[in-house]
Amino acid sequence: MHRPPLRHVTALALGLVTGSVPMAARTAPILTRAQQAHQASLQPTRVAQARANLLSQKGRLGLGGRDGFTALSAFTNDQGQAIVRLNQTYDGYRVWGTQAIAHVSPDGAVETLTGGLKAGIDLQAGPRLSGQQAIEAALRNLAPQGLMPDAPAVERVVFPASYLGGLATTMDPKTGSPVLDRKLTVHAKLAAPYVWAYEVRVSVHNAQDGAHELVYLIDGATGNILRVNDLAQHLAAPTPVQGTGNGYYRGAVTLNTSQMADGTYALYDTTRGTLPNPNLQYFTPDGSGWSATGLQVWWEQHSPSGVSTWNSYLFQSNPANTWGDGLPWAPSWGLENGANGQTAGVDAMSAMTTTWDFYKNVFGRNGLDGQGTSVFAQVLSTGPVNIDDAWWSIGGQGVYLGAGSYPTNPSGRLSMTDLDIVAHELTHGVTSPSYAQAWVSGAGYEEAGLNEATSDFFAQMVKAYTTRPTGADSAIPNTGADWEEGAGVNRGTPIRWLDHPSKDQRSVDGWFDGIQYMDGHYSSGPLNRALYFLAQGSSSTQGDDHYSPFLPSGMTGIGNDSAARIWYKTVTENLLADGTGSITYADARAAAITSADSLYGAGSPEEAAVESAFAAANVGEAPGQAPRVLVQFASWRNGDYIETNHFTAYGNRQIFPMGETVFPRISVQNTADTSVTWSLGGPSMYNGADYSVEEGGVINADGSWTTPDRMSWHSITATSHADPNQLAEGRVFLINLDTDMDLEQDAVDMAGVAYSWYLSNALNPAHSVLEAPWVDDTDVSFFVDAMRSTWPVK
Amino acid sequence: MRFRTLSLLLAGLVLPLALACSGSSSSSGTAPTSAKSLSYNDPSGTGWRLVKDPSSTSTRIVLDLVGPSGTMTRGVGFNLQAPPKVKFGVFANGLPINDTGVYKLLSAAADPTEPVAIIGGVKTGNLLSVGIYQKDRVQPAQDSGSPLCQIAIVLDPAQGISAGDALQLQVVKAKAIPEDIGAVSDDLWTLNKKMRMADITVATGSLSAN
Repeated sequence: MHRPPLRHVTALALGLVTGSVPMAARTAPILTRAQQAHQASLQPTRVAQARANLLSQKGRLGLGGRDGFTALSAFTNDQGQAIVRLNQTYDGYRVWGTQAIAHVSPDGAVETLTGGLKAGIDLQAGPRLSGQQAIEAALRNLAPQGLMPDAPAVERVVFPASYLGGLATTMDPKTGSPVLDRKLTVHAKLAAPYVWAYEVRVSVHNAQDGAHELVYLIDGATGNILRVNDLAQHLAAPTPVQGTGNGYYRGAVTLNTSQMADGTYALYDTTRGTLPNPNLQYFTPDGSGWSATGLQVWWEQHSPSGVSTWNSYLFQSNPANTWGDGLPWAPSWGLENGANGQTAGVDAMSAMTTTWDFYKNVFGRNGLDGQGTSVFAQVLSTGPVNIDDAWWSIGGQGVYLGAGSYPTNPSGRLSMTDLDIVAHELTHGVTSPSYAQAWVSGAGYEEAGLNEATSDFFAQMVKAYTTRPTGADSAIPNTGADWEEGAGVNRGTPIRWLDHPSKDQRSVDGWFDGIQYMDGHYSSGPLNRALYFLAQGSSSTQGDDHYSPFLPSGMTGIGNDSAARIWYKTVTENLLADGTGSITYADARAAAITSADSLYGAGSPEEAAVESAFAAANVGEAPGQAPRVLVQFASWRNGDYIETNHFTAYGNRQIFPMGETVFPRISVQNTADTSVTWSLGGPSMYNGADYSVEEGGVINADGSWTTPDRMSWHSITATSHADPNQLAEGRVFLINLDTDMDLEQDAVDMAGVAYSWYLSNALNPAHSVLEAPWVDDTDVSFFVDAMRSTWPVK
Repeated sequence: MRFRTLSLLLAGLVLPLALACSGSSSSSGTAPTSAKSLSYNDPSGTGWRLVKDPSSTSTRIVLDLVGPSGTMTRGVGFNLQAPPKVKFGVFANGLPINDTGVYKLLSAAADPTEPVAIIGGVKTGNLLSVGIYQKDRVQPAQDSGSPLCQIAIVLDPAQGISAGDALQLQVVKAKAIPEDIGAVSDDLWTLNKKMRMADITVATGSLSAN
């Protein structure tokens, strides 16, 4: 099997969010098996309750009289809740790609997640074509040469235009190069947001056509193909076997591998991942027995000089089922699939299966996305991912693992295939199973830190899981985690310390207003620390690594297993991301309390531990703690022009003229002493990806700031006098008001903005206070804001 | 501006020193009384000037900026130096300048959320800086002969102002946007010459405390 590096398949992203009902805290103990069986017997009733509940919410969800619901699947969890997935219908016909989830408790209470529904469908009449004509359209495209084992099946559906297919590629067997897959490529365009369509399912299993199970979406009006999925199943399925691996990090391990059609072996585990990978399914099977299902490890091809060819291959064609030499990657480019390159594959496969089993056995989760979708790892990567980095691809449902630049780069890393790295990245697949449910990363959002910390934490839980006693597969031991991320790949020095994040001299131990400006890998600190404290407790001894000034009395942990269950429930049930980056640390605390209440009861020691752990990371208060000093950059915009048009994602920012003495605005709450000490710069300047921010100017004795003569973003920090542990970092943009260039910044200068309004620099002189090539209302608004902030009437 | 501010401060210092050195008894002197009100006499002439608005009260003098009748402009801004003992007042918009409705501050296709080009503030040394401008060149220039904007001067008892004090006001910078600022169809050379502020001189009247 050969393919170019995996690409995102955006067409698989879920639809627009139409609304959701947050899950409320409901205490639900784990039931006995007999109790679970009884509850399971009531599942049909619960399914009906779920459907009725959703129907009652139609008005709130923006759905109309022709919308409805039909049950798709259901199971009863160990708390006795029926988890029901339902498709939206329209005039009784399924709306393709829509889904709602309902939790029905034993007492009949129903809670729903409705983010995948489609509001505003308005279709008249019906499809012009018949179902039979749709089948004929599909068969014209497939043009089968041999016999079909089953007659094609057809179902009338509503098709959202957002799910239109696009380009698909496959491998040309003659040249080995990727080419357009004309069978699966869809060129159709839709003018309307929804159309009547038919889903046609066609199977071919014969020598002439190969093995395919194709799902066609056919436009009910034109017969055009709107989308094609190949859910290929194979006549010559590979045989699951166990091989021997020699990993660098994992040592000698037994691996689930496959014996392929030609008798050779592949790093390909068909026992895990039964749904096809959305990216891999676009590649035509080569007769080896490979398919888009199962866990699989690929290697990236390079030229002898180490330049990526942007092609990658499955580890296969191994005549003996023994893999790797147990040694670190010694760059032998061009020989990536040799024994030394296989070592990275062994570590990756072992880590993937361990992580997969962790989620399955501890939480009952079927794969990363909960649906059993196949996952791949690509090792020795240098092309799609930095050589010393690793990356989870949401669209590809796979992880790219860097080759590591050491020893070529003496300060570089080893192969990025250690267990904690792989488990970290795969956990992103748990929290971000699709674009519509993605947690953001990078800088600019508190959610980015929550995202990274969640992956760090569960990577530690996977480490602990590997030390479990034989037969104890459903619990996480309380030991076995070292609370260090990336020490293996970084040759002994952790990339992050979960128990004391600031030891890396970049991360922070506690939340502060402005933490969103940091890169998520460093703003993860407070949550990493809170989860460590929740599991293992904190110290009351100052100077101890596990002492928190925000919780001087310390706390007792509730153990890895309970902490992990609370946080898993939090991120999978009570803190659902939607790709907008809106989740904050305060949200995380509230959702964790809800989870603890559900699992252990309101007022339980576990709930108190959650409150204490977050308090120790400066998020909320511990039970009995007084509200602590809160320093925040004042929120004054309230939907003004600047907020509406520029800064909604980044919160309130202040705008001042450059080269003037100004008083930044700050709010200090919960103390009589509202004074602060101002300082230039802020934590994010040393911990963020945004290096365009500067520090500069002079802080004066009266607390004012003489801004530098430089137009750019500047960072300033206010620290409370009442509690020096409390601070806030703000972003300030400095602009040049002196449009008439008389060396004075005053209201007269606004004239330059006014007479340049909506002129570009092609019509000089245009006086943008932002040095933009045009002048518009942004300049007007920034000018007004800067002047009002600087020279208010007293 | 700085020189003028220093001069006023020095004058304030000299007077108490002279009294202290006289050595005479206080029987012939009278202690200054605190001012209770302000008064303002309009300047003469028909040019650019600050005139008292009828809405003024005894402690809040509202001044209208009026220009020469028939002179068409698109906006005006000025800096007014006031002595430290008076304060500038704020209008309902939170600014020390009030729109009288002559200039068209919104674009012709008005969006109610768009920012308007009116601004003011008090810089160090009690220098009022205000401006009000049309930003949409589609809007016609306006006749400057009626009140174009307002400012306010307020008596602040906390400042220790005495009855009889003369309070000098001086406009130290003033500019207006002229009617002809060029058309977008003009060549760049022409446009560059026309897109300039016109210097104006604004006369002030006499302000005193009573």
